[in-house]
Amino acid sequence: MAEVAIVGVGQSVFSRDCGVSIRELSFEAFKEAMEGLDITTGDIDASIICSAPEYDKQRSPAGLISEYLELTPKPSFYVETVCSSSSTGLRIAWSLVKAGLHKVVAVIGFQKMSELSSRDAAERMGRGADIIWESPFGLTMPAGYAMYARAHMAKYGTTEEHLAKVRVKNSHYGAANPKATYRKELGLEDILNSEVITSPLKKFDCCANADGASCIIVARGDVAKGITQVPVWIIGLGAATDTMTMAGRKSLTGLECAKEAGKQAYKMAGLKPQDIDVAEVHDCFTVSEILAYEDLGFAKPGEGVGLIEDKQTYADGKIPVNVDGGLLSKGHPIGATGGSQVRTIVRQLRRQATEAQVKGAEVGLVHNIGGIGQYGNVTILRR
Amino acid sequence: MSVLGVPILEGLYPSTMDLYPLEAKEFNRIHPFYENLRQKRFTTTKCKKCGSEPFPPRVVCPKCNSDDLEWVDLPTEGKVLRFTEEVAGVPLGFESPLIHALVDLGGGRKLISRVVNCKEGELKEGAAVKLAVFDIPPMIIEKKGVMAEAERVFFAFEPVKK
Repeated sequence: MAEVAIVGVGQSVFSRDCGVSIRELSFEAFKEAMEGLDITTGDIDASIICSAPEYDKQRSPAGLISEYLELTPKPSFYVETVCSSSSTGLRIAWSLVKAGLHKVVAVIGFQKMSELSSRDAAERMGRGADIIWESPFGLTMPAGYAMYARAHMAKYGTTEEHLAKVRVKNSHYGAANPKATYRKELGLEDILNSEVITSPLKKFDCCANADGASCIIVARGDVAKGITQVPVWIIGLGAATDTMTMAGRKSLTGLECAKEAGKQAYKMAGLKPQDIDVAEVHDCFTVSEILAYEDLGFAKPGEGVGLIEDKQTYADGKIPVNVDGGLLSKGHPIGATGGSQVRTIVRQLRRQATEAQVKGAEVGLVHNIGGIGQYGNVTILRR
Repeated sequence: MSVLGVPILEGLYPSTMDLYPLEAKEFNRIHPFYENLRQKRFTTTKCKKCGSEPFPPRVVCPKCNSDDLEWVDLPTEGKVLRFTEEVAGVPLGFESPLIHALVDLGGGRKLISRVVNCKEGELKEGAAVKLAVFDIPPMIIEKKGVMAEAERVFFAFEPVKK
């Protein structure tokens, strides 16, 4: 049996304008994660604080959040892999528990982006590329993924309509998610007629910057059962990198870091793509979800669009994906995103999902990418 | 002094918030790249021991760890493989359209670059582009208590006019 479990999950409402500070935002997620658990704050042995630092005035946020949540004097430290920071935090929490150093660890991800204008946020986001060789061109995530979209279109005949169908699905589920930034159902025409951001990606092909926090409470197997009635076991972990420069990539038709992380996670769990009952993938752009279908083996390379065309990634399909609305509906508060994805899968496996419950889900997968495919993280959970 | 890329700061904190590299020889060992760039040459380092010729340039060969490297010229013309025209929400300090391309320099060498001197809708996949070198705002550096301005250049690619 797996030996490390998730006992609690929480997230704040994701929004364009949270109106609170990062410490208060983090507390909102922590509060939800601790609800119903047979432990108190004092039982948490360590905390891992995850975000991308460039959006805040605060430096070294771990100490700040540790104090505000009254986790002091327990150890706390900061982890960053841009948009996948909290998945990296979960990986480290697993290893701290597995190594016997701690029994209960809190992974807290946050980001507040509303203090900056979107163009200022874009400039700072661009610094997450190679600062000497690519950031000075003004290269940002939308432009990077737009080139992946172009490459996928050129090689496999993927169309803008295929991409739009991903948003149709995700907006459908996002409309029912009370924690999502966008809760409006969108039709194909709404998406295809939205303004161009960076060709071929349009406004509704892109997720939005958001404010939000997430929290995952991880515990050693033997104590987990005393903390919650439904522990969710971490059975597969994969993490990989690709080149920081986009120029160094083998191709632009898939994310090598996601393929590698997926391979590791499947191997550790002893499972295959077809064993996954429900998945959360990093749909920072519509094209990213298509790439994820292929990189994770849900579809063969070039055949990802078939899954969305046939509605196989809807809640009653062969492999339900992002049935909480995904990043496209929830918004993408960088450091909080991975934890929010994990929360959704944990709730699915506990049969607590409110947006759309996948019937009989036993095994779930989280795919969380940092940067323009620099950091790949795949986590497999079982109830 | 206004720092391109961070106009709101108007010269405050230039060393950490400025978006361009520190190019002066006091700050890095690949300064010949920028000196060559000023001469409109696009260069990288070649390992004299194993022949490896990576881009970006190195100070130690990533294949054999030798530090016996020489500067060699790369092509200054290439072909656009993929591109995107960013028209909304471009980063602060940049203007729309901000065009990015994956450029094929031949011989298996590709790089990401901005495409300048090009209107929206003009660029096509397969188009020929050439190196464009331009001045960027100087860097304010402090040397032994004296403030000085270090001149800088940077590059992009531009369409080859027929």
